[in-house]
Amino acid sequence: MPISHWADEPLDEDEDSFVRPYTITHGRTVSAHGDDLTLITIIVTLAAPEEQFGTRGLEPEHRFILERCRRPVAVAEIAAGLNLPVAVTKILISDLITLGTVAARAPLAVAVGQRPDIRLLQAVRDGLRRL
Amino acid sequence: MDYDDSDRRNGPAGPAPAAVKFLIAGGFGVGKTTMVAAVSEVEPLRTEEYLTVASVGVDDVAGVAEKDTTTVAMDFGRITVSPELVVYLFGTPGQERFWFMWDDLVLGALGAVVIADTRRLQTSFGSIDFFESRGIPFVVGVNSFDGYQDRTVAEIREALDLDPRVPILMGDLRQRAVSRDVLLTLVDHLMDGRE
Repeated sequence: MPISHWADEPLDEDEDSFVRPYTITHGRTVSAHGDDLTLITIIVTLAAPEEQFGTRGLEPEHRFILERCRRPVAVAEIAAGLNLPVAVTKILISDLITLGTVAARAPLAVAVGQRPDIRLLQAVRDGLRRL
Repeated sequence: MDYDDSDRRNGPAGPAPAAVKFLIAGGFGVGKTTMVAAVSEVEPLRTEEYLTVASVGVDDVAGVAEKDTTTVAMDFGRITVSPELVVYLFGTPGQERFWFMWDDLVLGALGAVVIADTRRLQTSFGSIDFFESRGIPFVVGVNSFDGYQDRTVAEIREALDLDPRVPILMGDLRQRAVSRDVLLTLVDHLMDGRE
């Protein structure tokens, strides 16, 4: 009787592509602060990595984020830099928020269906005119 | 400007700027990334998002829709207006049917640009329907490479069944000045009657 070895079975490609990035989060697909983070939530490191205590055991990706966010950057930019999906990146950022090593600033609230603040629009217009 | 400081925490890196975004939508290959690249201060970046969407077929007994996960890719760029304000430009992925399940797409969005190609205007319908239904203001940019244009603004407005107040611009979106003017027209559209 032929013995089929399960490990030799080809992985379903779709399943593989979704599951593999989550090995970085140790299989976690949800996080404490992940739901509060958006594509353009700005993340900033609160202290240089070498000055931080309690950061042992962090993944290299966590350290990348701490280094990258010494200047404020958006969640989407961090994800692009890590070459990881946004959902996975949010979990890693959430870990650092819990540790108190980064802070997050939510995007300006722009209520759908309502016109945004006129001073905000003027500032955006002035910025575009300088391009 | 209404900079809410309540969620701002000052660290050694200084205060984080506020962020808003514009969405750049339109059919595949219509020039979304071209426009992002034309005005962004950085080379367009690419990132992926997982979306969980209800799949076809609903289990009526349990009252729970089957869920599928799909991957969408986005190209985006950045314009730093000031140390206090950054504008992001997101090229929206196709498959507009997913957008309704994707709150993060519209969070912080001031408005949108729908890029249209006169040879296949139907590829813009999905984006226009979405922004109209969500009440997100938008303008239409007709990408005409090298200035060639075979249809008039009136013809395009009729073909797209657009509200007469929605601005339509034509031009070569590869040029920074053209893409910038499309965004300025969008901001003016947002300001209409407000100054």
